[in-house]
Amino acid sequence: MAPLDVVPGASPRRVVITGLGVVSSIGIGATEFAASLRAGRSGAGPISQFDTEGFAHSNGCEVTGFEPERWISGLDPESLGRATQFSVAAARMAVTDAGLAAADLDGRRGVVSVGTTDGESHDLDRLVAAELRDGIENLPAEIAGRVSPMRLSTAIAQELGLTDVETTVMATACSAGNYAIGSGFDAVRSGEADFALCGGADAICRKTFTGFYRLGTIAPDVCRPFDKDRKGILTGEGAGVLMLEPLESALARGARIYAEVLGYGINCDAYHQVAPQQESVTRCMELALKDAGVDPSQIDMISAHGTGTKANDITETRAIRDLYGENPPRTVSMKSMLGHTMGAASALSAIGCALAITDGFIPPTINHVTTDPECRIDCVPNEAVEADLRIVQNNGMAFGGNNAVAIFGKYQDEHREGMNWQ
Amino acid sequence: MTTHGLSGDHRLVITRWSAISPFGLGRSAFQEGVRAGRKTVTAVDTEQWSVPDDHACLVPDFSPRALLGKKGTRDMDRVTGLAVGVTAQLLAEGAADGASVPTGEGTGLVLGTTTGSAESMMGYTRTSMQKSKPFLVDPALMPYAVMNCAAGQCAIWHGLKGPNATLAGGQSAGLLSLNYTRRLLASGRAERILCGAAEEFSAARSWIEHHRRGRTPADTVLGEGSAMFLVETAGRDTAERLPLAEILDVRSRPHAQGAVREALAACVADTLRRTGLGPEDVWAVVPSGVHAQYAEQEADALHAVVRGTDARWVDVTGLLGDAGAAGAAFQIAAVLSIADADPEAAGKLALITSVDRDGTVACALIRTGGGSR
Repeated sequence: MAPLDVVPGASPRRVVITGLGVVSSIGIGATEFAASLRAGRSGAGPISQFDTEGFAHSNGCEVTGFEPERWISGLDPESLGRATQFSVAAARMAVTDAGLAAADLDGRRGVVSVGTTDGESHDLDRLVAAELRDGIENLPAEIAGRVSPMRLSTAIAQELGLTDVETTVMATACSAGNYAIGSGFDAVRSGEADFALCGGADAICRKTFTGFYRLGTIAPDVCRPFDKDRKGILTGEGAGVLMLEPLESALARGARIYAEVLGYGINCDAYHQVAPQQESVTRCMELALKDAGVDPSQIDMISAHGTGTKANDITETRAIRDLYGENPPRTVSMKSMLGHTMGAASALSAIGCALAITDGFIPPTINHVTTDPECRIDCVPNEAVEADLRIVQNNGMAFGGNNAVAIFGKYQDEHREGMNWQ
Repeated sequence: MTTHGLSGDHRLVITRWSAISPFGLGRSAFQEGVRAGRKTVTAVDTEQWSVPDDHACLVPDFSPRALLGKKGTRDMDRVTGLAVGVTAQLLAEGAADGASVPTGEGTGLVLGTTTGSAESMMGYTRTSMQKSKPFLVDPALMPYAVMNCAAGQCAIWHGLKGPNATLAGGQSAGLLSLNYTRRLLASGRAERILCGAAEEFSAARSWIEHHRRGRTPADTVLGEGSAMFLVETAGRDTAERLPLAEILDVRSRPHAQGAVREALAACVADTLRRTGLGPEDVWAVVPSGVHAQYAEQEADALHAVVRGTDARWVDVTGLLGDAGAAGAAFQIAAVLSIADADPEAAGKLALITSVDRDGTVACALIRTGGGSR
């Protein structure tokens, strides 16, 4: 009889990242994305996806030059919302990047988990526009038919022809990418799944831009995390999907291993819908380190949530210092380049972590002039630095106090014994 | 009672539950409604709702403020009220006898949804588009326009600091949430999890459904509500909370549009194979049966499994309508309700299935505790 997923006493499997799929404002595909992270490119520019008339400023980080038909062949791209197009394209890229054909995955049990903040809110915005223009009796049926956020993951399975997978959508807002990676990690680690395609996706939308604008947290020009003159976020968009598989299967097929997923932590502030709570963020990082079996002294880089708002950056850096003491690891914000891509954010930064480990560099925090004395960290201003990264931490925080932190390590089999993993 | 596959302390059990449904507030109302087979469809009050539907299955006289009081409910939307309210009801169970459920870091919450509140999300954009300045929206409403609002509010109201997740799973959300709950507990990420789902009736949802159907009439009237289950590992800190049911397995698969029968049959076969159980062990089958184009295939797949057995069929949608994300959670609650009143059901298996139009099928196999509460 086949055992269920949890076999008491069975040792968990090691989980590695073997494929990366990226749709972002600073590059499509892992190669272009890595080059942009290293060069410190900015994805900022005027928003074109919705009418910004009446807003005093309206920069964002939009995906440009995206041709869905390059990646999506089984489904009609028109039947998919913009966020789902991103997620399906990124998943296709991740599979290809892993050196696999979709057919190789058929018949293998897998998990497809995509995180999101807004689902297809871009389409919900369009329905509202249609309602105000044509009356609610005359909404376009093709848009009404594609607004379910479920499509972010089920469309991946349909496009790739995967039949034996669990498809889920983690709607845990701006840390959702890390949630999805955590779920995929648990499923592969336990033996429940043979692979996981996990990450996050969101499309820029008026609703969320307007909400942040009203809260006074949209930067007028660019995003400057940890800078004393930072003015907030830029809303962004894109998707990041990672292929996770057990170490054994990756080795057996000679796959390139970007990094190993060492563990993660999730918890909830249970405090405030929009304001982060320092103590709880610290606790989440502790949970992640404990799960990964690593000591704070072993962390070589922190990829911060780093939104560039006053409140986030102070709370997050204080939480880091609570745990790491006076000399925390270099702490960077990829949102300085990508903007806040919402549900894709921690997935894209997880991919950034994997690329940083593989290529040996720390991505910079760009647009940086003067570090805020209240954010006492080395944010690697403006220029990437070369670094041999062994273990890195990827922070995600969200509305609802939904914290999620993931830990990634360089895959080095010979160090397994010497690194005090447990 | 032992099970196949999982042994000893690793069994996952439901120890408490509650529901807010068209049957009324709380577990008792739900149990009575299901046992009596009471239909809940009513004419829609056109004073309250500007919707294309004439009929719906609504929670009677529901408002977050009426249920939860004035504090913290001024801006609360309906789906958040349904989620916070059902969590409050569950946690209140047994509290009077000193058997309260621990909260804090060991307790997580997993909530299934379709898309949060489409009403709140679209309302925010509508205000922006209608005002003289597009940013003249109410900042207090912004959190409600994000899908994880209800789960976050549940945590804030009830001090739940463990993993807090929102799963967008449409009709299957209750089962997908149960599977994620199982994974979190199996991975040691919480000691216990409040797992459930919530869906609101709203103008936005009603109009989206209306346009999605095109010119065809609705197969099922819209419903709403919430249900929540306390899921924990048997024997661990559960001495004061008797197992009401054991979760043997939960499984899901995608379906290419239209091919529901094959996907669901495979999903059910997986579950039976993994647990080492057979169709003859199944006491009740509980299909979702919401959309006619898929309901027939769902029933076919189930008939093929239990053909020749005397398994009973439980129809939840016929009583409560298309409860959206709350649908599968209501199916679980219905099993618990029937089993609780039927000594014959003790230790029997229920097979719960769900089909979501947007590409997923799911099933759960649970063994009822039988009349323990």
